[in-house]
Amino acid sequence: MSENGGPMIVLEDVSKWFGDFQALKGVDLSVDRQEVVVVCGPSGSGKSTMIRCINRLEKHDRGRIVVDGIELSDDLRDIQEVRREVGMVFQQFNLFPHMTVLENVTLAPRQVRRSPKQQAREKAMELLERVRIPEQANKYPGQLSGGQQQRAAIARALAMGPKIMLFDEPTSALDPEMIKEVLEVMEELAKSGMTMIVVSHEMGFARAVADRMAFMAEGEIVEVGPPEHFFTNPQEERTKQFLAQIL
Amino acid sequence: MRRWAFQVAFLFAVVVVLLYLYENVTDNLRRLGITTDFRYLRQPAGFAIPDSDFRSSQTLFDAVLVGVQNTAKVSLLGILLASILGVVVGVARLSTNWLVRRAAAAYVETFRNIPVLIIILFWYLGVVLRLPPIGEAFEVLDLVVVSNRGLVVPWFDRVGAAGLFLVFVVLGVVAATVVGVWRRRRLERKGEPARVLLWSGGALLLALAVGYFAAGRPWVFETPERGELATSGGLRLSPEYAALLIGLTLYTASHIAEIVRGAILAVPRGQTEAANALGLSGFQRLRNVVLPQALRIAIPPVANQYLNLVKNSSLGVAISYYEVTKITRVSIAQAAPAVQAILLLMAAYLVFSLAIAAITNFANRRLALKGR
Amino acid sequence: MATRVDTLEPLPSPEPERPSARRLSPSEWARENLFGSKLDAVLTVAFALLLAWALYRVGRFVFADARWEVIDRNITNLMVARFPRDELWRIWAALFVLAASLGFGAGAAATSRRRDLEEGRAAPPGRTEVLRRAGPVVALVAVLLWFAGSLEATILTLGVAAVAAGAYLGGRRVRWRAARFAPIVLGGIVIAFLIVAAFGGVGWDNWGGLLLTLFLAVAGILISFPLGVLLALGRRSSLPAVRVVCVAYIELVRGVPLIALLFMGAFMIGFFLPPGVDRPSLVTRALIALVLFTAAYVAEIVRGGLQSVPRAQIEAAQALGLSPLRVTGLIVLPQALRNVIPGLVGQFISLYKDTSLVFIVGLTDLLGVAENITKQPDFLAQGLIVETLLFASVIYWTGSYWMSRESQRLERRLGLGER
Repeated sequence: MSENGGPMIVLEDVSKWFGDFQALKGVDLSVDRQEVVVVCGPSGSGKSTMIRCINRLEKHDRGRIVVDGIELSDDLRDIQEVRREVGMVFQQFNLFPHMTVLENVTLAPRQVRRSPKQQAREKAMELLERVRIPEQANKYPGQLSGGQQQRAAIARALAMGPKIMLFDEPTSALDPEMIKEVLEVMEELAKSGMTMIVVSHEMGFARAVADRMAFMAEGEIVEVGPPEHFFTNPQEERTKQFLAQIL
Repeated sequence: MRRWAFQVAFLFAVVVVLLYLYENVTDNLRRLGITTDFRYLRQPAGFAIPDSDFRSSQTLFDAVLVGVQNTAKVSLLGILLASILGVVVGVARLSTNWLVRRAAAAYVETFRNIPVLIIILFWYLGVVLRLPPIGEAFEVLDLVVVSNRGLVVPWFDRVGAAGLFLVFVVLGVVAATVVGVWRRRRLERKGEPARVLLWSGGALLLALAVGYFAAGRPWVFETPERGELATSGGLRLSPEYAALLIGLTLYTASHIAEIVRGAILAVPRGQTEAANALGLSGFQRLRNVVLPQALRIAIPPVANQYLNLVKNSSLGVAISYYEVTKITRVSIAQAAPAVQAILLLMAAYLVFSLAIAAITNFANRRLALKGR
Repeated sequence: MATRVDTLEPLPSPEPERPSARRLSPSEWARENLFGSKLDAVLTVAFALLLAWALYRVGRFVFADARWEVIDRNITNLMVARFPRDELWRIWAALFVLAASLGFGAGAAATSRRRDLEEGRAAPPGRTEVLRRAGPVVALVAVLLWFAGSLEATILTLGVAAVAAGAYLGGRRVRWRAARFAPIVLGGIVIAFLIVAAFGGVGWDNWGGLLLTLFLAVAGILISFPLGVLLALGRRSSLPAVRVVCVAYIELVRGVPLIALLFMGAFMIGFFLPPGVDRPSLVTRALIALVLFTAAYVAEIVRGGLQSVPRAQIEAAQALGLSPLRVTGLIVLPQALRNVIPGLVGQFISLYKDTSLVFIVGLTDLLGVAENITKQPDFLAQGLIVETLLFASVIYWTGSYWMSRESQRLERRLGLGER
C-alpha cells in the first residue's frame, strides 16, 4: 500500500461493454487525496458504471483502475482490499431490511474486521451520532423515512473507516424535503477531508462542495474543471446544453 | 333480502345432499350388518406391526396410533434431510462453477419429473431389496451394516443405571452456558475471538465423558455385529423405512431446491451489491445477507412442500411400511368398517396439515420484515 | 413455407452481461467457469468423476446388462393392457383425429403469436427451435417404436405425424382467436374418445397401460376445471354461507393425501349410493376420486387468477352498471383464466404423475402394467422390476419434462414469469 502523496484514484482508458452496448469509452480520470469530484451528465451516460467499476461492482473490460496504489485485477484479495477502503452509498439505500440500523452498521466491522462487538457498537453509535440519527439505532430500515435510511446507509459505509466514499445519486430516490438532511451530512463529510466521488444533479451542493466537476455523456468524460469555471464558462457545447437544461 | 334467501337455500341444499348421503351410508351399512360408529376401534387388531412392540391383541385404536407415530417418524426425518439437500442443491444451481450448476440442474429435472411413487418403488424393489442377504451383508467402515434386511447403524444400548449420568448431563449444560457467557464477555472486553462453540462444546463433552465413566458406563455405544441370520446391536432401519425415506427425501429436495433457487434470485440485486461494497466475502454475504432474506421468501412454498412430504408418506402403503395409511388399509382388509376407518385416516392427515400450517404461520409472523 | 415454419416461439433471451468485444476461448471459458479458484477446481474434478461414474453405470445397465426382452414382449400391454387387440384400430383412428385437431390448434395458436411478432412485440425465434422443442417427444416415440419393432406401427405413426404436420400448416393459414379454435381442439378430444369408447367400442373399464394413464389425466383435468372455477368463485363470494362451504371443501381435500381419496373411491363410494344402484366400476371410482382431488387444487389456481385481476377493473365494470354476474362473467373471468393457464398446465403435469397412484387401488395403468409384467411366468422372480420401472419412468419423465418446458415458454410469452 502506498502512503505517498500520489493520486488516490486513477482511471486510465477504462472501457466497459454490456453485451453490444459500450457503456464506457476509454475514460481517464485522476482523483487526488481529499479531493471531492462531482460527476453529472444525462442518464445512461455511464456515470454510475464508472464509479461501480472503482469498487469492482462492475468489471471493466479494458484499461487500468488503481485505487490507493492497488490495481484492480481478477485477484480476489486485491478486490477485497480495495472494497475495504472504499465506501459506497447507493441510490436505493440498499440497507439490509432484516437487520436493525445498528446491526447494518456493525455488520461489516464485525464480519470483515472481526472487531469486538462492544467496540463495533460504540463506533457505530458515534457514526449514527454524526449522521444525526442515534435515536433510530434499534429500528428496522422499513420503519425509517427515506432520508433517515440514506443517512443510515452513509453511516454503514463509514463504519469500515474507508479512505474514499462513492455516492451513486444518493438523493435521487428521496422526497424533496429529505434531500437537504442528506446533503448536509455529505457536506460535513467533505469538509472533514474525505476523498469523494459523487454522482449527483444537486448543483447547489456541487458548487458548495466540489473541488472539481466532471461532465459525462455517452460513456465519455466530456469536460472536467473547477466548479467556478464549469458553471460560468463551460468549454464544450454538450456541457452548455446540459447545464441549460438542469439549471 | 335476496342475498339471505339465496344463502339459506344454498345451505339447505348442501345439508340435504349431505343428509342424503349419510342416510344412504347408514342404510347400506345396516343392511350389511356393519357398525356405524367408532366402537370398532376398541376391538383387538388381529394383526401385528413389523418393527414395533405392537401385538395383535392390542386394539385397533392403538394400531392407528402406531401408524401415526410411524408417519411422523418418516416425515420428520424426511423433512430434515430434504431441507438440507434442497438448500445445498438450490445454492449449487446458482454456483459459478458450470459443472456443479449443471449437475444440480440434472438432479432437479430428473426427480421433479418422475412420479414419487416410482422413485419409492425403485429404491425399495430395485435397490434395498437387492442388497445382499444378511449372511453376505457388507459393512461400511465397520459401522453400518447394509443388507436386504435394512440398514443397521450404531446406536446407544442401555446397560446400567442412568440417574447419575443424567445429573452430569445437566451439569454439562450448565457448564457450557456459563463458559459461553464468559467467552462472550471476554469478547466484548478484549476483542478476542469468542469461539463459543469450541469452548462450550468442549465443556459439555468433558462433563458427559466424566459422567459416563462416573456412572459406570450406563450406555454402550454399540456398533452392529453381523451374524449369520441376524445382526445384533445397533439401530435397525427397516428396508421399507429406508426406501420410503430416501424416495421422499430425493423427490421433495428437488422441489425445495427450485424454491430456494427462486428465493435467492428474488433477493434484490442491490442487497448483494451493498454486501460486496462493504467487503463481505462470498460466504459471509450468503450467510448474513442473502440467505436470511431468501428464507423469508421461501417459507410459505417450502412449508407447502413439507405438507406434501407428509401426505406423500402415505405411499408407504405401496411398499408395506406401516404408517397410518397402511394400517388403515390392513384394518379394512381385516374387516374394520371402511367408512369410519377412512374418515379417521383423513382426520389424522388433517391434524398433520393443521399442525404444519400453524407452525408456518408462527414462523412467518416472527420473521416478517418490519416496516412502517 | 419453409421459412415460415420456424416462427414458432418468440423467446426473449435474458442477456447475460458479456462483453461481445471479445469472445472467450475454450481455455479462458474453462478457467472462468470450472477452475475459478482452488475450491472450484476441487469441485470440478470431484463432480466430473462422480458424473462419469454415474453415466458409466447407467450406460452399462441400459446398453449391456439390462434384459429388455420383458419390455419387447409386453410393449402393447404397456400401452393399452387389457384393451381387446382386434379393436386396436379404434385407438389408431383416435390418434389420427387427435393429431388433426391438436395440430390445427397448435398452428392457429402459432399464428396469433406471429401477429405479435409482426407487431414487434416479440423477438424472432431461432431456426432449430421446432426440432429442439419436439425433440424429447420424438425421441420417446422412436424408443417405443423400436421396442414394438413393428413396420405397421411405424407406418401408422408416420401417418399420424404427417396428419399433425398438415393440420398444423392448415392452422397457420387461419387468423382465429383462441375462442374460435379452442372448440375444435376440445371437439377433437371428444370425437377421439367417442371413436374408442362408443359405437360398439371399448368402455374405459377395459382400458389400461399408458392409455389409461393419459385418459385419467386428461379427463381428470377437464372435468375438474368447471368444478374448480365454481369453487374458486364460491370462495371469493360475498355470501358467507357459500364461502364457508367452499373453503371447507377446498381445505379439507388439500389437507388429505390423494391415496386417502382413492381409498374413499375404492371402498366408500358404493355406500353413498342408494340401495339397489350398482357400484360404478373401479376405473370410474378412481376417476371420481381424482376429479374431487384435482378440483380443490384447480380452485386455488383459479383463485390466484381472480386475485390477479386489478380491483380497478371490477370498479370500472360496476361503474358501467353491469350486474354482479356480468362483471364476473364478462370482465373478471376472461382476464383471470388467461393468467391461470400456466398454473393449470402445472396441475395437469402433477395429475399426470399422480395417476400412478391408482396402481395402489388395483388399476392397471402404466405403472400397474410395469409391475404386473414382472410376474409373468416367463419373467417371474428374475428381478426385472428395474427394467420395467425405468421404462415407465422414461415415459413419465418425457411427458412431464416436455410439458413443463412448454409451460415455461407459455408463461414467458404471457409475461407472467417476468419480474
